[in-house]
Amino acid sequence: MLICCTASPTRAFATAVPLSDSTALPRRASVPTALIVGASIVTILLVTAALAQVVAPYPFDQMHIRDRFAPPGLRYLAGTDEYGRDVFSRLLIGSQLSLLLGVIATLISMGIGVPLGMLAGYSRGLIDEAIMRVLDIMMAFPPIMLVLLILAITQPSLMKTAFAIGILSAPPIGRVTRSVTLDLMSGEFMEAARARGERLHYVLCRELLPNVWPVLMVEASLRVVFAVLLGAVLSFLGFGVQPPAADWGLMISNGRAFVEKAPWISLAPGIAMGLTVIGISLLGDGLREVLDPRLGRRQ
Amino acid sequence: MASYALRRLGTVLVILAVMSLLVFLATHALPASTAAMILGQYSTPETLAALEHKLGLDLPLWLQYWNWLRAMLHGDMGQSLVMERPVAPMLWDAFGRSAILALCAMAIVATVGVAMGVVAGVWRGRWPDHAVSIFAYLGIAVPEFYWGLVLILVFCSTFHLLPSSGIGNLSDGVGSYVSYLILPVITLTLTLLAHVSRLTRSSMAEQLDSMYVKVARARGLPEHVVIVRHALPNAMVPTITVLAQDFGFLIGGIVAIETVFAYPGLGRLLIFALQRQDLPLMQAAILTLTAVFCLANLGADLLYGIANPRIRHGGAVE
Amino acid sequence: MNDALLEIRNLTVRYPGTTAVRDVAFQLQPGEALGIVGESGSGKSSIAGAILKSLGASARIAGEIAFEGRDLLRLSRADHRAVLGRRIGAVFQDPFTALNPARRVGGQIAEPMVRHLGAEPAHAMQRAIVLLRDMGIHRAEEVAHAFPHQLSGGMKQRTLIAAALACEPSLLILDEPTTALDVTVEAQILRLLARLRQQKRVSLLFISHNLGVVRRLCDSVAVMYASQFVELGRVGDVLEQPAHPYSKGLLASRPSLRAASRGSRLSAIQGQMPSAPRPEAGCVFAARCPFAEPRCTGGEQSLILTAPGHAARCWKAKTLGDWPRLAVEGTDLGEFRPGNALVNTNRLRKSFTMRRGMAAWRPSLANRWPRFRYQPTQVAAVDGVSLTISPGEVLGLVGESGCGKSTLGRLALRLLNCTDGSVEFDGADVGRLSGTDLSAFRKQAQIVFQNVGSSLNPRLSVGEALERPLVLFGLAKPRERRQRVEELLEMVRLPASYRLRYPHQLSGGERQRVAIARALASEPRFVVCDEPVSALDVSVQAAIVNLLADLRDRFGLAYLFISHDLAVVAQISDRVAVMYRGRICETGTPAELLAAPRHPYTRLLLAAAADESPTAEPSADIGAGATGCTFASRCPRRLPSICDTTVPTLRPVTSAHAVACHLDPIAKQQCGTIATASIPP
Repeated sequence: MLICCTASPTRAFATAVPLSDSTALPRRASVPTALIVGASIVTILLVTAALAQVVAPYPFDQMHIRDRFAPPGLRYLAGTDEYGRDVFSRLLIGSQLSLLLGVIATLISMGIGVPLGMLAGYSRGLIDEAIMRVLDIMMAFPPIMLVLLILAITQPSLMKTAFAIGILSAPPIGRVTRSVTLDLMSGEFMEAARARGERLHYVLCRELLPNVWPVLMVEASLRVVFAVLLGAVLSFLGFGVQPPAADWGLMISNGRAFVEKAPWISLAPGIAMGLTVIGISLLGDGLREVLDPRLGRRQ
Repeated sequence: MASYALRRLGTVLVILAVMSLLVFLATHALPASTAAMILGQYSTPETLAALEHKLGLDLPLWLQYWNWLRAMLHGDMGQSLVMERPVAPMLWDAFGRSAILALCAMAIVATVGVAMGVVAGVWRGRWPDHAVSIFAYLGIAVPEFYWGLVLILVFCSTFHLLPSSGIGNLSDGVGSYVSYLILPVITLTLTLLAHVSRLTRSSMAEQLDSMYVKVARARGLPEHVVIVRHALPNAMVPTITVLAQDFGFLIGGIVAIETVFAYPGLGRLLIFALQRQDLPLMQAAILTLTAVFCLANLGADLLYGIANPRIRHGGAVE
Repeated sequence: MNDALLEIRNLTVRYPGTTAVRDVAFQLQPGEALGIVGESGSGKSSIAGAILKSLGASARIAGEIAFEGRDLLRLSRADHRAVLGRRIGAVFQDPFTALNPARRVGGQIAEPMVRHLGAEPAHAMQRAIVLLRDMGIHRAEEVAHAFPHQLSGGMKQRTLIAAALACEPSLLILDEPTTALDVTVEAQILRLLARLRQQKRVSLLFISHNLGVVRRLCDSVAVMYASQFVELGRVGDVLEQPAHPYSKGLLASRPSLRAASRGSRLSAIQGQMPSAPRPEAGCVFAARCPFAEPRCTGGEQSLILTAPGHAARCWKAKTLGDWPRLAVEGTDLGEFRPGNALVNTNRLRKSFTMRRGMAAWRPSLANRWPRFRYQPTQVAAVDGVSLTISPGEVLGLVGESGCGKSTLGRLALRLLNCTDGSVEFDGADVGRLSGTDLSAFRKQAQIVFQNVGSSLNPRLSVGEALERPLVLFGLAKPRERRQRVEELLEMVRLPASYRLRYPHQLSGGERQRVAIARALASEPRFVVCDEPVSALDVSVQAAIVNLLADLRDRFGLAYLFISHDLAVVAQISDRVAVMYRGRICETGTPAELLAAPRHPYTRLLLAAAADESPTAEPSADIGAGATGCTFASRCPRRLPSICDTTVPTLRPVTSAHAVACHLDPIAKQQCGTIATASIPP
């Protein structure tokens, strides 16, 4: 067909191939330090939480009557509380509760928010309008009010707290999903899929979802943090996990009365919580740098 | 602009109506019934039925809602079941005390937080930026009440500088009154400062990377003019929305902080009502807090409209 | 020797890992205009950036930039700022983001005068209004008090030029100032710049990817390729007798405004520009050069004088012939003869509701009580378009941005549902297809897009993207798929190894090739090409246009070829339709349209493309011309009695040429009775 002049296609490609690779490489090579630090903290946390019962030096509810208010030391790493319970062991068990709460609440909010957001962004029109108005109204509640209302109606428990926080977090997840979906919808590869007459589930699962999930991972890390913190506030106020559970918020609340005599009872769970939150936030920020095309791919 | 404002106002009214319905229905789902609570141990089926009839609790639900809403709109918030006093005056006193906390905190966040964000955005990648971002990480790492506890430990238990709980009396002098406010306000601001400064930083950074800033620099304008007159007005637009959003977190913070510092505000009143299942007090407190949040959002929307020439000035000139 | 306004010596700009500008040197005399031409990534904008010191902290700049006797690179920040805006003005590519959205336009023009000249703000504002009037803006006061979002793109660029000229600088740097604008607006801005150059005696440094634009404005031109100047000389010399192979290739690959025969192809430059060139290892263009021989890659090339005042970076420059022409195997295919219609649009209309849902409830304050009324706003993007495309035919569709040409393409494929009218494909009403019939239609009618950045899913490899149509339409057994994908890649002249690549690892031209392969994977008969080359560099454009022409001949494809570029459309089309504001104003063969355009808008487009002085005024936004001719507000020949009241219909001029204009003498004679009959009493 074509008589290509003198430059044969293969020769042109010989120059093209290494070039494209060299432009692609630097993006892969640089892993942000935030991601490394965050991922290590989160990994350690997950491992200790999973092995808490094994690692903990004492059962979390074992009382040592003679060692009440023992300060941190070799025997009790983080001291003991007013019943002589080992604070460090309780911290380990508490990490299970906190992470469980964070993960369950986030899963619930993603379970509600992601399909709603994708549907709203994909269908636009009336469905979009209806979904977004409902989410707007949910967002117009001061965040804590909705949770307090739900928890006041029923007897508090970890699952209910997770459920309440999950519902509360669904609107922001839905909004983010929708805006990312809308962004992608204007992408021409979406139109190419429609020009092939692809079915809805293929478009949503194969074309959209792989592009949405990086942004969602970042958002999910924020939501886990939010759930952990709000869960702590709720148990602090007495509406979350009930004693004698080794919940961090509850431990801080109980220790308040002895804050002058034995500050470690309250301070230790706070430090544990701070480490958890910073670890997850760093992980999220690192992920954002690597994954979010809107921030990452600077020329 | 007028049409924009009217539309926002309409939206807020709809949201408030939905809110009131939600609050009403939620409190009605509570296990405790008002009549049973009033009668306490003296309740018999007959007296219960009689009182329910007297209070209108045997009416259909929508009618009960309508009566309740009408009373609310007339400022009649009913009688507290536990305190056995009218709700409205109690609520107003607590509201005033909480408002002082909230306004002080908001003022600090809006000035200091934005300033921190701008500084971090301008000196991106240098030490002010790193300092702000470390502060931000610490600020969001633990809930507000924990910082409250730490502050109490440092300033009250260790150095005995400030009172740890309660509220001052203006008749004892302004200094004493203010001394009671310092710790709660600082505690309230910490988390919000972290949030606002981070978002202001990113919006400032985005504006400084924009084309019109490049053009302004190419016109030989001094850097402070570029930052203050060009980038800042545009960077402030999203910050307004962030501040309104943070007002919601502030309300959440107040509930916990007032408990830590035993500050007799709306938050503590709400917790009290929830713990004692005091329905009228609960409804009034939740509705008030929600309305305040809605109004704050409305205010932010209007400010946003004023700051944004696309909304302030509509169509094309040509 | 030094009466030069600007003299650059040995300018080198390095970024970590790459060199953007290498050893560039030139002089600019007072009042002179120099054009720097190159494709994206050639480093041309970095020269402007080095003068303006706007390259960011990672750039390392070496050399000398002597401006009015002082080396700008050695000035302190404050001294440099005093030069910028005062002695050097700058205008950039994208007028849409270059104005501060939060401040009034007039204030932004006045600001440099207040800063540099110490003018009173009120006085500076008066000057700004005078300047705006100077830029050919009629309602200057109003524009000065407007916010940027209230102005059109051309208007914004005028205000930016006004701001750059506010302090009467001696040098104006223009970095692709018209690239983001429509051709007709571009022509106006270029005319304005030419006039300002005469009036204000300002020197221009004009940076562009477009040789034709440089020809209209500049005295001399430098051609830049892979960080180096490869050719430098008077505009006439360089454009008429290019010495460097790259300049020859660039000029040859640009389609001329001529109707081309079916067999003709553009002269393309193969391959692409290296992103990390190494000139010390030989000529940077050697890999793409048809004249290359082993000696070219022996060592660094230097600029040699080919004629007085004309230099090229090629040791063979004096002995080179013309860029080799391409031809199709066999004889010329002759003119295309249309057969039965494959695609037929019938009075197609699409209106969009601009404001709907909650936002359509417009509050008003009538009778003191706020009221909400439902007022959706309708805008017709496509308005009564009837077109026919035969099997194997290429119909070109030309028009400026926002005229509805892309919407028409999407309506033809039923990617959008039409409001009124119908689309027929192979005799069947596309709007009524469903189930397997619709699927069969989708298989036979495909689309290629403009935006090479988003036409491929970033998370799917090339192989996965090409396999999908095969799976969906059941075109290949699982075992044969890989082979078929490789065939498809070979068809668009990409190596089979590209199967494993992801879109971000491809250049723009390569992505477009993959997108074409994906569209053709289902073996369609009709393809909508929506601006397929406008996002690509000139040297890559030609190769893609040629590829599309080859595939048309090989598979007998019919195209609806949408573009804003009349020259590209004329090159590939058998028939051209000109669209303006949702309506077709003229159709005909490229030869007829180019030789004897009848509609005033076609003439305007042609004049703008051919660099004559367009006569019509800038487009004024008067609500979509519902009652009359949409072009009336810009038309130099408008007759209010008929043009403002009656919508003109397409009337034949010759067998293959039709025009929708009340004032066309031939069309009027032929259908005179209808025309007069349709005037309302």
